Amino acid sequence: MIICPNCTHENLDGTVFCSDCGTQLTSINPIVTQNISEEQITRDLKRTSVFPKDLDAWAAIHLTNSGQILPLSDREEFTLGRISDAQPIMPDIDLTPYQAYACGVSRLHAVLRKEESQVYVMDLGSSNGTYLNGVRLKPNDSQALNHGDILSLGKLKIQILLKNP
Amino acid sequence: MPTNPDYYVTLGVARNATQEEIKQAYYEAAQRLHPDKNKAAGETEIFLEIQQAYETLSNPKRRKKYDATLPPEEEPSLPVKYEIYYSRPNLVRLNEPQILYVLLEIIPQQKSEEIPAPPLNVSLVLDRSTSMKDEKMDIVKNAAIKVMRNLRSQDIFSVVTFSDRAEVLIPASYSFDKSKLEARIRMLQSGGATEIYQGMQAAYDEIQRNASHERVNHIILLTDGHTYGDEQQCLKLAERAARQGIGISAMGIGKEWNDVFLDTLANRTGGSSRYISRAEDIQRFLVEKFDTLARILADDVVLDFKETTGVELAYAFRTQPETGPLPMEGDIHLGPVLQDSTLSVLFEFRIDPSLTKGDMIQVLRGSLKLTIAALPTPIQPVRIEFSREVKEEADTTIPPSALIIRALGKLTLYRMQEKAHMEVDQGQFELAAHHMKQLATSLLSQGERDLARTALIEAENIEKSQAFSEEGSKEIKYGTRALIMPQEKKEELV
Repeated sequence: MIICPNCTHENLDGTVFCSDCGTQLTSINPIVTQNISEEQITRDLKRTSVFPKDLDAWAAIHLTNSGQILPLSDREEFTLGRISDAQPIMPDIDLTPYQAYACGVSRLHAVLRKEESQVYVMDLGSSNGTYLNGVRLKPNDSQALNHGDILSLGKLKIQILLKNP
Repeated sequence: MPTNPDYYVTLGVARNATQEEIKQAYYEAAQRLHPDKNKAAGETEIFLEIQQAYETLSNPKRRKKYDATLPPEEEPSLPVKYEIYYSRPNLVRLNEPQILYVLLEIIPQQKSEEIPAPPLNVSLVLDRSTSMKDEKMDIVKNAAIKVMRNLRSQDIFSVVTFSDRAEVLIPASYSFDKSKLEARIRMLQSGGATEIYQGMQAAYDEIQRNASHERVNHIILLTDGHTYGDEQQCLKLAERAARQGIGISAMGIGKEWNDVFLDTLANRTGGSSRYISRAEDIQRFLVEKFDTLARILADDVVLDFKETTGVELAYAFRTQPETGPLPMEGDIHLGPVLQDSTLSVLFEFRIDPSLTKGDMIQVLRGSLKLTIAALPTPIQPVRIEFSREVKEEADTTIPPSALIIRALGKLTLYRMQEKAHMEVDQGQFELAAHHMKQLATSLLSQGERDLARTALIEAENIEKSQAFSEEGSKEIKYGTRALIMPQEKKEELV
């Protein structure tokens, strides 16, 4: 028996299309594992990143996994991290909803700051580090950011979108 | 008649046929052609020839002597070749039934361009019942005149009209004086009931007067209504026609006709049926049909086979050139091979677990019988065999042929509506409505919005009134059928 992944109808062995819902059960190409290099993903992301039109903010964070966009506006400085119980200092942007804990994001992980027209990132001595386009940053050392740069907070990837690249 | 008839051709067996095969061929022929049983004129003569052939070939000594007198067998340089594609590289040893799909393609060969288009022997059967009155009748008349004007000087043409009785409007003839014949068509008046058998019988008689292997013999039926009580007679006539190489195609106009019946009628002979929703399309479809007939290379390919015990032919469908379901028993008339188009037939076999004990399964064994209209000598049947090895595990390293997957993918939608029809017939209305909704989803995903909408409306109809609407049911049936074929042409163009 082949059980259709779409409608759970039971089809006889050898069936190619589910007789109940028409879903293809056998693929033309045998399934193989494809290796996708990280570089490739980063390159693709950079090429396709666009600052959302009509977004009233000086920059935005693009969560590459979920596709969500968090605007940065009103203030010049945002701390990134995750909120947990009994924590004296809260980050400005809480990344808990984006699997921050599982990805190894510290409670106060990094800070994004705008100075005139330039945007900077600084690691706040996080346990798992902050990576800019794959290169680990020294803690407490500001680095200038470009539009489309990828930051990894631990394993959580975010992309920086700038309004005036 | 050649002085030395080829008995093998007469019996329709290969030169290296076994005694058993010769005997079988003789019995089959004798059953239908015996003077006590045969109906058509000339069948007794054919029977006598077959008897003579059998008497010689059934005796090994006589056969050997006879073989020596035969000219050496010519290299079979067939104007067609065939290819077989399987849905899986091997069958699996299982204790439950399994499915195997086989795609058979009969492909015209390059040099077939040298074979001239065969002359036609066509009879047009026009429904002139009351429902055809006024505009529809006029359109049909114009369409008939149009195709007649297109005929070549070597074509034989006849027109039969019918209501509750039949009249031969134009007897089978070369149409030299076309304007006179046109006038006769124009005089046609509508009135009366629909009795298809009357018309078919008259057309059959007209065709038979000139029927020969060198021509494409074909009856084209145009009707807009149900026939009552004479369906069985019609089907018997179709079987008789098929044996004599006469094809039948049917075109249904509007929503009132019986599509299941016309499908069956046509597919007994390898012909096809079509749905014409708007009267304006009649002419286009009719011209197309004549055009197809004039491009025929092999008139009617017949698959003669014996079923292996434990293997059930569960489905047969022609995906090209004219799409349509095929009967699943006896000699299957697969339809024509056109000079520029492959004949493709998809088979579904259900294999019983008891068979998978062996290492090899012969799924089907038989022969393809071809008649090439333009070739004077009959062609020997071509042996054909579908078989697969049985292994412990499914071989997943070799992907199934993309060709068969594509054909199956297109057929799936048609089969879903077919399934819903079956369920309505069996009173499983909920299930039928469910399947129509599934079909609508699949249609939508393929961008067929109009058909999807029709499918949804029919799902509602089934839920409310426990039946398809006449129109919607035909829209979907012929709509999904149309998706199977012309799409491919579009793809090629892109």
